[in-house]
Amino acid sequence: MTPIILSGLGIGILFGFALQRGRFCMNSAFRDIVVLKDYTLIKSVTVALLTSMAGFAIMVLTNTITINPKPILWAGNLVGSFIFGIGMVIAGGCASGITYRVGEGMVGAMTAVLGLMITATLTASGFLAPVKNWLQQWKYPTEGASATVASLFGVDYPYMALGIVVVAVILWVILARRNKEEAAPKQGSLLNRIFKQGWGWLPTGIAIGLVGIAAFPLSAASGRNYPLGITSGWVKITQLVLPSVPTENSLKWDMWLIVGIVVGAAVAALIAKEFKFRVPKWTVLIQTFFGGALMGFGAVCSTGCNIGHVLSGIPQLSIGSLLAGLAIVLGSWLTAYLMFVRPMASGD
Amino acid sequence: MTDAITPTKTLDVKGKICPYPDMDTMTTLKKMKKGEILEVLLDYPLSVERLPRSAKKWGHKVLSIEALEGPNHRILIEAFGLKD
Repeated sequence: MTPIILSGLGIGILFGFALQRGRFCMNSAFRDIVVLKDYTLIKSVTVALLTSMAGFAIMVLTNTITINPKPILWAGNLVGSFIFGIGMVIAGGCASGITYRVGEGMVGAMTAVLGLMITATLTASGFLAPVKNWLQQWKYPTEGASATVASLFGVDYPYMALGIVVVAVILWVILARRNKEEAAPKQGSLLNRIFKQGWGWLPTGIAIGLVGIAAFPLSAASGRNYPLGITSGWVKITQLVLPSVPTENSLKWDMWLIVGIVVGAAVAALIAKEFKFRVPKWTVLIQTFFGGALMGFGAVCSTGCNIGHVLSGIPQLSIGSLLAGLAIVLGSWLTAYLMFVRPMASGD
Repeated sequence: MTDAITPTKTLDVKGKICPYPDMDTMTTLKKMKKGEILEVLLDYPLSVERLPRSAKKWGHKVLSIEALEGPNHRILIEAFGLKD
């Protein structure tokens, strides 16, 4: 019992700390591409994916972990994650984004989490479960190991993963040399830069990737063979308050991970003097609650949110997770276009 | 130092959720004349870092970024005059 609490909570605190310092949010990463033409966070996301991919591959080669990619659920992944993508733009944050902002004191994120908790639990085990089961009936392959980019090419996972990382890093270095950007000015001591200032995209991506690497064997040791995930942890927290579900079922690694994220983000925000209870208008609270509700439903239908599929699934080269990631991006772009790009272009 | 500058307009986006602090600022700047100065008051850490990047990208000039109490910040931006 205790090791689960310690490792889940510990990884969560590190994750929450890195999320808050790096302002790492996939909603902003995807949405900013079309709305603000800002590519800082998408670079962070890419670095995190490549770091985790390299780490997972090395851990497979050293027999530290066995990868556990999610299967392809055609309708579940595409429809569920598309709805998730719509929801996160409305909620103003992805699953990890709204979770760490709870620790920053943002009340709009708290209502988004509440919406996510309710619908995720109802979709996992409540009256929305038949909808999820119907969407998840088209599964490929129906039995056996999940399809990955590696199995598609008939290559062993670690070699495929390391190959992708090497090619991506080489391409990136070449591209970065072509369009040199001005580096952000560095000021103050190292401690100041870690605890007081926001991190740059490169250290943020590496830190998040490393947390994902550390999470995999620790979570596996607790009997849950998967790296980071958000939605399942919130479902387990919700089940704690439901009398019909035995408590021991919910006291799991992914639940402590969530507690840790909120604590880690709160500690980071307090040290940097960024903690404050921020209450938006009540209409915004309803908006984020509704967005969170769409996210909870979509994530459970797709068997994962942006963390379970994008941050944890894509580095395992799961094709189902790649489809889910694509659907999240498309859902977020469509919503961002309707909510922000079109109104801004019309002049007011 | 920045006290000497009198802003033409003040925009308070404190408490707003992502990405409204940035959106509201950019649409306000778009309507301002060249040389007019916008004072933005915000408390959202991500936007404190992202807003100056976006403003520069559209040709506006970031005059100062000042940390106030807690997460509150005051950013002064000189409009490029996109409407001119």
